[in-house]
Amino acid sequence: MNAIEVEHLRKEFKVHKSRSGLVGAFRDLWTRRYTLVRAVDDISFAVKQGEIVGYIGENGAGKSTTIKMLTGILTPTSGRVVVNGMNPHKEREKFVRTIGVVFGQRSQLWWDIAVQESFRLLKKVYCVSDEQYRRHMAEVIDMLEIGPLLDKPVRKLSLGQRMRCELAAALIHNPPLLFLDEPTIGLDVLVKLNIRQFLKQLNERYGTTILLTTHDMSDIEALCERVIMLDEGKIIYDGSLERLKERWGQGKRIAFTFAEAVTAAFLQQLTEGLEVVWKKGEQPNVWVSHVPSGGVPEVVSRVAARCALQDIRIHEVPTEEIIRNIYEEGAVHG
Amino acid sequence: MFYVSVFFQYMAQYMKTKLQYRTDLLIEWLSDLMAQAVNLVFLLVVFGHTTLLHGWSRDEILFIYGFFLVPYAVFGAFFNLWDFNERYIVQGEMDRVLTRPLNSLFQIVLERMELESLLGAVPGLIIMLYAGSRLSLSFHWYDVFVFILFVIGGALIYAGIFISLATISFFADARTSIMPMMYNISSYGRYPIDIYHRVIRYILTWVLPFAFVGVYPAAYFLDKKEWYSYAFFTPVVGMVCFTVSVMLWNAGVRRYRGTGS
Repeated sequence: MNAIEVEHLRKEFKVHKSRSGLVGAFRDLWTRRYTLVRAVDDISFAVKQGEIVGYIGENGAGKSTTIKMLTGILTPTSGRVVVNGMNPHKEREKFVRTIGVVFGQRSQLWWDIAVQESFRLLKKVYCVSDEQYRRHMAEVIDMLEIGPLLDKPVRKLSLGQRMRCELAAALIHNPPLLFLDEPTIGLDVLVKLNIRQFLKQLNERYGTTILLTTHDMSDIEALCERVIMLDEGKIIYDGSLERLKERWGQGKRIAFTFAEAVTAAFLQQLTEGLEVVWKKGEQPNVWVSHVPSGGVPEVVSRVAARCALQDIRIHEVPTEEIIRNIYEEGAVHG
Repeated sequence: MFYVSVFFQYMAQYMKTKLQYRTDLLIEWLSDLMAQAVNLVFLLVVFGHTTLLHGWSRDEILFIYGFFLVPYAVFGAFFNLWDFNERYIVQGEMDRVLTRPLNSLFQIVLERMELESLLGAVPGLIIMLYAGSRLSLSFHWYDVFVFILFVIGGALIYAGIFISLATISFFADARTSIMPMMYNISSYGRYPIDIYHRVIRYILTWVLPFAFVGVYPAAYFLDKKEWYSYAFFTPVVGMVCFTVSVMLWNAGVRRYRGTGS
């Protein structure tokens, strides 16, 4: 069964266009001009139960709008949304019992009271029995390592501590589906790792379906087998991260540190016939070559045969760059 | 039943929060009491100069004012909607509210409750007792229930009007300055209705029924028989007002568009 089914989903906003200057402001009083903005433009996809899906796109691509429609906050302009077998907007109160939501930039917890008091209130709101709470939350608290934080008021927690508590708060009713909107924004590496590990465990142990948006590609690489990429309200890619990398990130990158100065023309001549692109690196005497897959040994041996080298490093093309390239071109072809 | 138990849980939590800041709480109580005392003195001084107003005696006018303070305190304790636009729409707190399995309006009432406002009913009761004893009003045992009914009705009228105003935030982006204006208008209900022009009287009765919060129900206790039918209409008007506002609210939530990313 699919956890999320979306067909031809569309959300339009009427945006008031204001004229410039004082005269413009007066004219706005009488006649208003509106433009119709399509935040989400005819998207369709389905998410199976137990999947972890990364939902990515630039700022303003429509990610948050989609999440808000999937969680029942916004009403779609048109299209069909079925989440956990329900229409999120029609049966909101019943529906939200089956999902957990974390907005990275917004707090679920009460600012002034201890974390566990917040949990208690939420437990009441979600009608979780004591027994259920003990069994499930003990594990969550343990995995997130927030035991020592429970009796502190939220306002005294650091961002990383608060974020882990937010996650726990979203899981009080053990929902089968979890929405995360930029859950790792502004966090340090250790907390990020902890959260990723936790989400993985959650997914394995309870089969929780997770849909997350993020700008941090390492989140996606660590968690998601599947990514859905959005641009200007349209889906431009939906598939595995592997396939995306294969198609777009073909080849490797080799950074040579030469013992003495070399010229681009010389290097170009060295690797003639190999489709290699040379670029000057950031440090002195460093040159980076972009090599098609399979060409690495040949390039290295040719360069090493003619020049004195201090260092060689071989990288894959980073996902961030792949994504950036795709954004710049606007769509994935084929 | 579920809502009632959630209500008490929130209330317990609210008290715990308040008790956390002990000095703060103490100062708040003191300043609240002081403000109320000043209010009281002010009223007595102001009304000390009037003796008869359109057939209403000084004590009757005081009694109406005292009565008005009680539903107003109940309203103030549970319906703090004056910064709804700022807090929930502009700052996007509404998103969070809508991801919880409780009625959204109910959640906001719970989150914004301010129980100490109930203290405002105390001077109201004192004034009523004072004016009532000077007027030597007759009380029956059932008047207690009538009083409670009228207070609830009055609070619901206030709640209904201010919920409807808050609902505007769902439809219009811009902030509105209607709220403070409405607070001003609402104060007209505290004075005998027949001192006003016909049009204003009509408005205060049927359009913005603030007269049902003060003068009409108080007239019942003052044994003004000519106003009885209006007085007993108070709970009905309260229910109608509140129901309409909840319907408007629900329509507003459907229109809600959220903020930014």
